[in-house]
Amino acid sequence: MTIRNALRDHGQRYRPRMACLKKAEKVLLEMQDPCTGVKSQPQRLVITIIPHAITGEDIIAWLADRFQIDAQEARSFGSMLVALGYIYPLQDHKRLVIKPDASLYRFQTPYFWPTQQWPVEDTDYAIYLAKRNIRKKGILELHEQEQYNHLHKWMNHKWDFVVMQAKEQYRAAKERKKPDRVVFDCQERAYWVVHRPPPGTVSAMDYGLDRRTDPNTDEVTGESPHDLLVKYSATYSGHDPFLSKCLPSNPWLTDDTTYWTLNMSNVEIPTKMRVERWTFSFKELLSDPRGRDDFRLFLKKEFSGENLAFWEGCEDLKWGTAVAMREKAEQIYKTFLARGAPRWINIDGKTMEITVKGLKHPHRYVLDAAQTHIYMLMKKDSYGRYLKSPVFKETLKKAICPEEHKFKNRRPSLSPIIIRQQEQEQRAKMAANAPVDITQVMSKLSKQGKEMGPRHSK
Amino acid sequence: MPLVNNKVGDDCTASGDKALADGKALVDSLIKVVACYRHLASCVGGCTDSLQLRNELRQTREKAQNLAGDICHHLTSHLRDKSLPDGQRKEMELLWVAFSSCLELLHVDMCKVLNISGIVSLADSASLVHTGLEGCSDVAARALSLPDLNQAQTDSLPAGLESQERSTMELEISQIDRMIDDMEMKVNVLRWMVEPHGPQYADPLSSTDSASMALQSIDEEQQAPTSQPLCQRSHIFVLLLL
Repeated sequence: MTIRNALRDHGQRYRPRMACLKKAEKVLLEMQDPCTGVKSQPQRLVITIIPHAITGEDIIAWLADRFQIDAQEARSFGSMLVALGYIYPLQDHKRLVIKPDASLYRFQTPYFWPTQQWPVEDTDYAIYLAKRNIRKKGILELHEQEQYNHLHKWMNHKWDFVVMQAKEQYRAAKERKKPDRVVFDCQERAYWVVHRPPPGTVSAMDYGLDRRTDPNTDEVTGESPHDLLVKYSATYSGHDPFLSKCLPSNPWLTDDTTYWTLNMSNVEIPTKMRVERWTFSFKELLSDPRGRDDFRLFLKKEFSGENLAFWEGCEDLKWGTAVAMREKAEQIYKTFLARGAPRWINIDGKTMEITVKGLKHPHRYVLDAAQTHIYMLMKKDSYGRYLKSPVFKETLKKAICPEEHKFKNRRPSLSPIIIRQQEQEQRAKMAANAPVDITQVMSKLSKQGKEMGPRHSK
Repeated sequence: MPLVNNKVGDDCTASGDKALADGKALVDSLIKVVACYRHLASCVGGCTDSLQLRNELRQTREKAQNLAGDICHHLTSHLRDKSLPDGQRKEMELLWVAFSSCLELLHVDMCKVLNISGIVSLADSASLVHTGLEGCSDVAARALSLPDLNQAQTDSLPAGLESQERSTMELEISQIDRMIDDMEMKVNVLRWMVEPHGPQYADPLSSTDSASMALQSIDEEQQAPTSQPLCQRSHIFVLLLL
């Protein structure tokens, strides 16, 4: 639904852990199918018969069969559906669990299903409590009473409306047939047990904090973070020093620092892995100093080096000291933005206007808009051409792929097991041709211990 | 808050009183219609959902929107009138608050109906949730203030009706959206200054619904006595095992 109701929503649109609700809905629709779903039975209440009641054990059996899980897991799953409010118990309505016996449950009407888009309004709760009070005075429980008083205080301006609406809803309910009235009351009551649980109970609708952006999709590309994570892992797994081999070798393991030397920022010839990383994204290219150098060379050949220079200037301004800020901003303006500047950059009129206006009172982020514009320009235009350019191809060709480290210069170190064995042999030998005097033995042993000493340390 | 003594006044206050009374009547009927709409909306997607229900919803919605339009004009014009005496202004503001709350409720209900009709399609009758209900046609009659509705028996769902309905609903929802926005823009009602008249507790209406209350309480008690001994027995059983 594309209707944005920011005013009503107060920006609290995204309730992330509720992404499971869509899945629960699908399961529920399957469950209530008259042919393949859970079998229902009528519920007898004095003289009325209300259809579509289901037993706890049937629900658990159906879930276990449908998902091929054991009874314990089916029970937990069922309890989750009850806790979320898709099924409600007809007896013991305050405990939102599935009992694996003949206790009765019923499916909740879709109007009362939990939703992600609309928060549960306090106005509705106030109306509900007022309605209950109309039916029978003093029926509200203690916590409900407290809530009612609290709502009366802060929602005071619409209290007349609340009371009137409660009365009207009550009267409208009277128009319905008696069994339907009972069912509707049960439905509403169940809804509020889920969304305004009595104190001391944990609510399944507790989702932590509201988010400002939808964590279920990437706002720009529309992909879910799950997909993005999978993509990232697939791309970078070959480059991860823990998950795959580090060429030539991981310096922390082999004491061989060739890896670091080969990957220094000002190295003439980069490694193949490094060059491959530049092709992953423009950000990778820019953040690697060697990559940036290569890109700069390419841009020089294309006579559009001012873009990169401007971008670097902006970065310098952003991350530099506060003292130098004004100077730097002026410098950048003179070099890149002023009319007739030596390295004039091409940004659209609107951005230029905003930037020039902002430069009157420069601060760290005054050039952000222009920088973003230039960044996107480079990313969409120059980056693609760079990857096809002779400069890049040359670099790629020259890039080295170091050989894997061969462990031939490994310093042999005596294993402690071997040392202990040698000691034992020594002792056995001495015992065989032992001198009589014990002090001589001790002195001999201590001497040998001292001899062994230096060899222990590496 | 002292009431303005309306008898000592000129034509201005008299007509203002009439305007107030008109406004109140309109808002009252809107509240009634919105309450009925909520009841109807609670049936959508359930086993009582049908073309008939959708028709009733549509009719109720139209009535609500007409009323809303009227009230909007009425209240906006009066509240923007700077010569309105203070007492009447306060009353108007009270009506204003009630009206905007009504609109918000209507808006949410309409959005929910749209959402549900997306999840549970009328065409696929097996997917309508079995909620134990049987039907609520009299509610719509109450909303439209008609003695009874002419039930047109149409069994088949005309093709394309659902998508047409969806687009109409979306239009209507955005209309209400805009109305709410306009209202906020045009008239500045300070909500913390508005004081209600009524009591905190709604008086219990006579001829209380004792029958269904009894049904509900029996519902609880039916299982309670049997569950108690069961619990105790299971406790004993567990103790024996240990």
